[in-house]
Amino acid sequence: MTIPFSLYAGRESGLHPVHPLTRLTIAGFVLIAALLIPWTLGTYALFAGLLLPLAAWRRVAGLLLRAVFRFVFPFALSLFLIQGLFWTGGTPVVSLGPLSLKAEGLAFAAAMSGRILLIVSSFLLLAMTTRPDALMLALVQKGLPDQIAYIVLTTMQIVPRFQAKANTILDAQRSRGLETEGSLLRRIRGLLPLAIPLVLGSIVDIEERAIALEARAFSRQGEKTSLVDLPDSTFQRAFRWMLLGLTVALTVARLVSVLR
Amino acid sequence: MIDGLSIAVEDIRFTYPGGVEAIQGVTLSVSPGEAVAIVGENGAGKTTLVRQFNGLLKPTSGRVLVGEWDTREHSVATLARRVGYAFQNPDEQLFERTVRAEVAFGPKNLGFSSEDILASVHEALERVGLADAADQHPYDLPLSQRRLLALAATLAMQTPIVILDEPTTGQDAPSVARIGGIVDSLRQEGRTVITITHDLDFCAEHFPRVMVMASGRVLVDGPAREVLAQSDTLAEAEVDPPQLVRLARSLKLTNMPLTPEEFVTAWQRSRGE
Repeated sequence: MTIPFSLYAGRESGLHPVHPLTRLTIAGFVLIAALLIPWTLGTYALFAGLLLPLAAWRRVAGLLLRAVFRFVFPFALSLFLIQGLFWTGGTPVVSLGPLSLKAEGLAFAAAMSGRILLIVSSFLLLAMTTRPDALMLALVQKGLPDQIAYIVLTTMQIVPRFQAKANTILDAQRSRGLETEGSLLRRIRGLLPLAIPLVLGSIVDIEERAIALEARAFSRQGEKTSLVDLPDSTFQRAFRWMLLGLTVALTVARLVSVLR
Repeated sequence: MIDGLSIAVEDIRFTYPGGVEAIQGVTLSVSPGEAVAIVGENGAGKTTLVRQFNGLLKPTSGRVLVGEWDTREHSVATLARRVGYAFQNPDEQLFERTVRAEVAFGPKNLGFSSEDILASVHEALERVGLADAADQHPYDLPLSQRRLLALAATLAMQTPIVILDEPTTGQDAPSVARIGGIVDSLRQEGRTVITITHDLDFCAEHFPRVMVMASGRVLVDGPAREVLAQSDTLAEAEVDPPQLVRLARSLKLTNMPLTPEEFVTAWQRSRGE
């Protein structure tokens, strides 16, 4: 099944399902590590040694690599060019006429690219392998207020609905002779007939959603039964604590080395 | 007086960006002044087909001619001079502060003179019975009247072709009768009227020509009396014949009555009165 406005790839690995919180913890650990690991090679090693195998295990390695390439490559390329060319007073590696790439600039670009690679791919891996509703449910079970989970999930669902509605309104107004192409003035004039029905309609939608939620006892206090069972295990719990501990240790170590 | 225009659909196919082929080879022509009802279950391709008539969708292959205009060569706003399209949901188009201004929006876009705008707005509001509400805010009207208002906004554009997408949905009997009356008067003026409807009774009473669609194709297209009698084809398209047709059939009447008056005549004749 596809979930709107989400990167979830919906591939089952056939292995024991991993609890959403475990995946969230891995993503969080990698994110912090990306910012704190002082060695450039470390970031790439973490990507190749942890994220890629995990992605392969969840059968989204190809998908992840493609997405990472699309997001990270343009950044990395501009980093290497700009830092390499405009690093002041570095050692030239390659020269072409008045331009030269400096070693220090390239090293800096490699370090930054590694961090961006980790940050982007940890988030993408989480998004590709985790249904947003399962993640929210896991968080609600750990004490996150229902309302916050609801806001996050409906926002994801509303975007495509909003787009569809906007398209219908655009079609209706064009059918009434509204010219939407041409000069800037014309386009600005065409904005109100589109915006007003969209905003009014959304307000009505919100009211109806609220009524529907109340009719289904959304604001009832106390624990709610969930139809979805999220299997967890002692091993996973221990693994999460270990990652948390590692994250804290990493932070402390980094702080100490910086302060010293 | 506005003369109707013809529509010619030449072997069109249409595939949505998602890959669904919603129109799988349709050829048809509608003469100036004809009134055609398109029926069929949800997803049969009715809306996709009529959206080709005013250029909201352009055929993937084949072509659609409105008068002598190829829809691929004209923008929707330009085609709006020829084809008025009344959408299903009025709340996805109403935006002005008064009913009057709302109806004037289309004629203004088409560049009518201010006298013509006044006249056509007045006429359209009279037609749908909202003349007394001209100064109200559109959203102060109940939904059924907002639907009539959206219809008036299309009628005021004085187009030779009028498309009505499910005009009777959610309307009470007097409003359905009023919309039927509007269809009849448009026909008398010689304007071309095309409707999509699930209301077969409305279709039988006001549309001489009926087209049945299923899975992106036209199953049958012809005079209402003949088409609505083909129970097998209608069943294939998941459409129930009009109530009067079903009643006449259970009473084993030989004629196919489309209006209550015709039914009474047929009934009396069968009893030898």
